[in-house]
Amino acid sequence: MREELMKILNELRPEVDFEKEKALIDDGVLDSFDIVALVGDLNDTFDVNINIEDLLPENFNSADAMIELITKLQGEE
Amino acid sequence: MSFLSLHFLFFLPVSCFLYFLVPRKVRWMVLLGASGVFYLSNSVPLSIFLLFTAFTTFWTGKRLGQIRKETDAFLKDWKEGKVHPQETKKEYRAKQDRKKRRQVLLAAGANIGVLCVLKYTGFLFSSLNQAMEALGLTGGLPGVSFLLPLGISFYTLQSVGYLIDVYRGRCEADTNFAKYLLFVSFFPQIVQGPISRYDQLAHQLYEGHSFDYHRVSMGAQLILWGYLKKLVITERLSMITDPIFQEYLNYSGITMLLGAALYGFQVYIDFSGGMDITRGIAQMLGIDMTENFARPYFARSLAEFWRRWHITLGAWMRDYVFYPISLSAAFSRLGKRTRKWFGTQTGKMIPTFLAMFITFLLVGIWHGAEWKYVAYGLWNAAIISSSILLEPFYKRMAEKLHIRTEGAGWKLFQMIRTFFLVSLGRFFSGAVSLESALTMMKSAFTVWNPEIFTDGTLLSFGLGRKDYLFVFILTLFIFAVGIYQERGGRVRETMSKQKLPLRWAFYLGAILILVLFGHYGPGYSAAEFVYQQF
Repeated sequence: MREELMKILNELRPEVDFEKEKALIDDGVLDSFDIVALVGDLNDTFDVNINIEDLLPENFNSADAMIELITKLQGEE
Repeated sequence: MSFLSLHFLFFLPVSCFLYFLVPRKVRWMVLLGASGVFYLSNSVPLSIFLLFTAFTTFWTGKRLGQIRKETDAFLKDWKEGKVHPQETKKEYRAKQDRKKRRQVLLAAGANIGVLCVLKYTGFLFSSLNQAMEALGLTGGLPGVSFLLPLGISFYTLQSVGYLIDVYRGRCEADTNFAKYLLFVSFFPQIVQGPISRYDQLAHQLYEGHSFDYHRVSMGAQLILWGYLKKLVITERLSMITDPIFQEYLNYSGITMLLGAALYGFQVYIDFSGGMDITRGIAQMLGIDMTENFARPYFARSLAEFWRRWHITLGAWMRDYVFYPISLSAAFSRLGKRTRKWFGTQTGKMIPTFLAMFITFLLVGIWHGAEWKYVAYGLWNAAIISSSILLEPFYKRMAEKLHIRTEGAGWKLFQMIRTFFLVSLGRFFSGAVSLESALTMMKSAFTVWNPEIFTDGTLLSFGLGRKDYLFVFILTLFIFAVGIYQERGGRVRETMSKQKLPLRWAFYLGAILILVLFGHYGPGYSAAEFVYQQF
């Protein structure tokens, strides 16, 4: 999962080091356009349904947080 | 009562004194009482609208909380095997979600509906009349104009935001109406925001804060800074911009560009000055309010400008309009189609751009019911979307021309470019109508008249050379403070570390400038804040 996620993130913003960044939202690295594109890609790739309620900074601040969110949502399906 | 009235100079210290005088547990009541006095002093009958909003959103929030509790209890029983209902867990959840959605739509719709009726009926009627006249019919709808309750555009969004947050499970429903009424009507923010989030502000209002000299002193400095910006600088700038925008036929060319640029500064200094006063008052009481500005004129793109300008409105529109639209099932279907038609890259962007246009249209008309605000919103959306579309082209150009895009020169160029685009947008928001905005823009780009700097035009606004120099120095000072803050500096913290005589010389100097150079209108009441009218 991590590899696929990293591929999506690096395609979205090649100049960002997603392994290191831990405050992607809090520091404004990802903007709302990125989030919309990212959510679409994550939904399609991992067959989940990320809702607006899930759009909290803590779910998108780092690659690890995103993996945690996807895993949680896959468990709920 | 307004922040700029003499009454307020009496009201504020008395409220603060009473706040720290009573026991901590009931300090929120002093804030509620003070907020009541502040609001009622503006209009007693119009307070009914604020009460309506507070009551409907509070009640609905409570109802949502109950539905959530029911759901949680059911799911717990279901897990423990205590219930064997006809419906599955998924069906039950969906049923409860539908119930919650109905409640939210009804309450949010009623409140946004009241806002729209009061704010937009006149605009709608006159537009319909114009359309009917254009078709050769007689437009028979009456001219309507309602008095707007103080702060309605701000408190409605704040309360609806609370409701949606409860619906989404971001915060618990409030259970005490009096406390919730304080959240809706807190006097420092009722006039022009910020539009606060419940989970950020409410608990701070309800807790009693102890007196803290350092915090009171910091808050007082912020208030002083806000008054300086408002009374010394913006009042002077408005002496130049008011005639240019209102008697625009008398001016042309560079004067128009200068007017738009100065108007942009004026609105920024006016609005951010008001926010400084708001945040300063709250800080004295021990409450941290959300920042509404992050030095927007340092932005390197228009999109970034909007993340630094009126941040709480932008965040509200992002969370409650832009995300719900762009992530909706309908937009997802649209995205699939546009990807098929235009290819993956472009097709993916189309629904997002459409959502952004809708959002900026709403941002525009939130400011007022006029075509110029519609144009203002669409102008911003058009520039942002074109800059995203043209980004690969800019990159290629920069590579070909060997421009170092991380260099200071390029960054400065980007800031100036953004400033220019923002200033052009100010023609729409500052002009008296859309037609006059377009006339002004046309003149700005077709008339070349650099002689205005030497022929005395600039001195015809009632400001002398000394005034210009004074405004220039203070603006430069604000700019210098901005650079310091951009580099992570904290002005008041740095100031508090200075030796006492230097510190006090600075404070007294600021007070002296405020008293001597502040513009006070008739009855010592200066022109109201620009954003108060929204």
